[in-house]
Amino acid sequence: MDFDFSKEERKILDDVRRFIESESTPALLEETHRLGHIYGGPEGRTFIRKFAANGWLTPNWPREYGGLGLSAVLTAAIRSEMARASVPVVFVAAHMAGPTIMHFGSDGMKKEWLLPISRGEVEFALGYTEPQAGSDLSALDIRAVDKGDYFLVNGQKSFNTAAHVADYHWLATLTDPEAKRYHGMSMMIVDFNSPGIDIRPMKTMAGWQTNEVFYNDVRVPKKNLVGDMNAGFLYLMTALDFERMYPLAAFEAVFDKIVTYAKETEINGEPLSKNPLVRQKLAQLKIELEVDKLLYYRLAYMIDCGQTPNYQASMQKVFATETAQKITNTGMDILGHCSQLKKGSTHAAMEGMMEWYYRTSVVETIYAGTSEIQRNIIALRGLKLPSK
Amino acid sequence: MKFDFNQGQNILKESARKLLSNECTTEFVREIADGTREFPEELWEKMAELGWMTLLIPEEYGGSGFNFLDLSVILYEMGYHCMPGPFFSTVVEGGLSVLEAGTPAQKTTILPEIAEGKHKLTLAWLETGGVYGREGIALSAVREDDRFVLTGTKLFVQNAHSADTIICAARTADTSGTSDGITLFLVDSKLKGLDVTRLPTMSGDRQCEVRFNRVEVPETCILGKLNQGWTALDSVLRKSAVATCAEMTGGAEKVMDIVIPYAKGRKQFGRPIGAFQSIQHHCANMLTFAETIKFMTFQAAWRITEGVFSEMDASICKAWASDAYRQVVALGHQVVGGVGFMEEFDLQLYFKQAKCAQQRFGDGDFHRERVAEAMGL
Repeated sequence: MDFDFSKEERKILDDVRRFIESESTPALLEETHRLGHIYGGPEGRTFIRKFAANGWLTPNWPREYGGLGLSAVLTAAIRSEMARASVPVVFVAAHMAGPTIMHFGSDGMKKEWLLPISRGEVEFALGYTEPQAGSDLSALDIRAVDKGDYFLVNGQKSFNTAAHVADYHWLATLTDPEAKRYHGMSMMIVDFNSPGIDIRPMKTMAGWQTNEVFYNDVRVPKKNLVGDMNAGFLYLMTALDFERMYPLAAFEAVFDKIVTYAKETEINGEPLSKNPLVRQKLAQLKIELEVDKLLYYRLAYMIDCGQTPNYQASMQKVFATETAQKITNTGMDILGHCSQLKKGSTHAAMEGMMEWYYRTSVVETIYAGTSEIQRNIIALRGLKLPSK
Repeated sequence: MKFDFNQGQNILKESARKLLSNECTTEFVREIADGTREFPEELWEKMAELGWMTLLIPEEYGGSGFNFLDLSVILYEMGYHCMPGPFFSTVVEGGLSVLEAGTPAQKTTILPEIAEGKHKLTLAWLETGGVYGREGIALSAVREDDRFVLTGTKLFVQNAHSADTIICAARTADTSGTSDGITLFLVDSKLKGLDVTRLPTMSGDRQCEVRFNRVEVPETCILGKLNQGWTALDSVLRKSAVATCAEMTGGAEKVMDIVIPYAKGRKQFGRPIGAFQSIQHHCANMLTFAETIKFMTFQAAWRITEGVFSEMDASICKAWASDAYRQVVALGHQVVGGVGFMEEFDLQLYFKQAKCAQQRFGDGDFHRERVAEAMGL
């Protein structure tokens, strides 16, 4: 057993921290906040291209694909640093689609996509959810019809975050509507500039935007099919396992601010942090952050051992996102009335950010599979409980 | 990073499972708990032959120079089998106390005897009210000529009835300056004035009340230094807390092994109860608790082994494991239903083990407060 980073990993992490400190600008942080921490805005692209030039976006990829040939543990640790610093941290291409292409894509596809992805030059948006297919992704309805040289795609997606800033759609479509559940789905990469695509905004309660995407006779080249026809559900599930690996460090940073607030704020002549109830709550969160760290790095360790995280990813996702919500709710409780105040109010605490984190954390336990779906996965895949 | 045991640890684990699944059956556990029998010497000797008592002891003192992580592997298996007996009190409480506080001469005398399984020890530190901190230690040791006279009562002393030596934390001075006010004494359990009574506990384990009625010990029985006992004891207690978590790791794994097959086999409404999402979610939560107890425990054990163990580590680990293990058992009871409430169903053994382990060396509230302190709150 070993619960520490190697010397080499430490050194790179130091470099990463220094880079972020010197290169992140107020404009970058503002844009990242406005987009809900996804990648794709102009400020983010400038920052990330420079960042990725060091191999830091995909350090565990082989060198031929733009990685450093280092550990997934390092990749996970770098993602934590990015989350903590509130720079873009959600990378569909580099951290969800990319590893799936690496596993299942043809040589041609790997050559075409992996290098630009590792350099941060292209970003994807996930194209899974549809109005009638939320938790049940087998209920997809969008069709891709084989037309010889290309697929012709028609249908609708919803909640496709990043579609308005990304370059390509990582699209789950139905290619064999007659097949049984899960066996008629294919994954393909679609250029958002293709004629016939219409992206319409959906505004979230956190202020950032997600999207509906409409397909009207959109032509997709055959070479953009990922892996085999009708095997898409496996690829989608694999990409989901990577997506669920959740760096909690953004909320750890919020937690640290709450701790500082509790230490510095006096009520009746005594710091809030001396209140036994406040102490118990904050200590419990500190403990849960530590638990999450182990669940998180366990996933990276599995990848380093050549495995794809499975129910373990669901476990970490549930634990991390529920901890995130506990942190924001506890923060609201500890800050009291001031927690409701937005940036700009002279009475606001924590720069008016508490209420935003409280709002945005609602979706954490929902996207990429709700906590309930994750628990189903843990039970069915992890414990092999019967499905009927 | 590496989340797996090494080969040696896997071998250790397998050999422990082999011995304990034969010798430490739940029937055996029940017989000890209800007082039908005491822990058998033959089993103690078998454990000694396998070298379990030697793990923590350096080679120069007759040990095998393994480490805390290796010991945790054995404790993990002991927890899995709900094992009673004086191993923990002798090897963890006693062995660690001598290692941390003892003079070279004391180590040379006592450690080889522990390693060979010929010396049983226990640690007497709690008193009325079960206050964990140094302020809870009131039993007095007063110097009279060339000896110390111990007077007072210790509670919750594990296996004091079968120990050869009771390490007693006594108050010898006020806490001031360089003095922490506490001194550890090696007390021969056969000394005049010692009175050991077994306490009737929920789980039937051997927690004892030990009354010291003017027990006289020579100055050579001071373990380590006069008025410097607390620092060593505090370190022993923190490590013992992690060792308890190792037992809880095994206990939680066993609860999974009891409950999950039951959920797959038991049918209601025409299907296995494990096919119902309400049961599945309980089971998913149980697995999350069980796995995280394990990771937290082995991270702490690894840190002890690597010498990078901080004040916060033991408390973070013990607070989590204590509450999570209790949750595993509570959810397990809910999944199993009425059968789980029956004495003959093994879950009850682990229910008791969980509460007992939760309270030993500080419960969740206690350790959260310590975490808060370490956070500078």
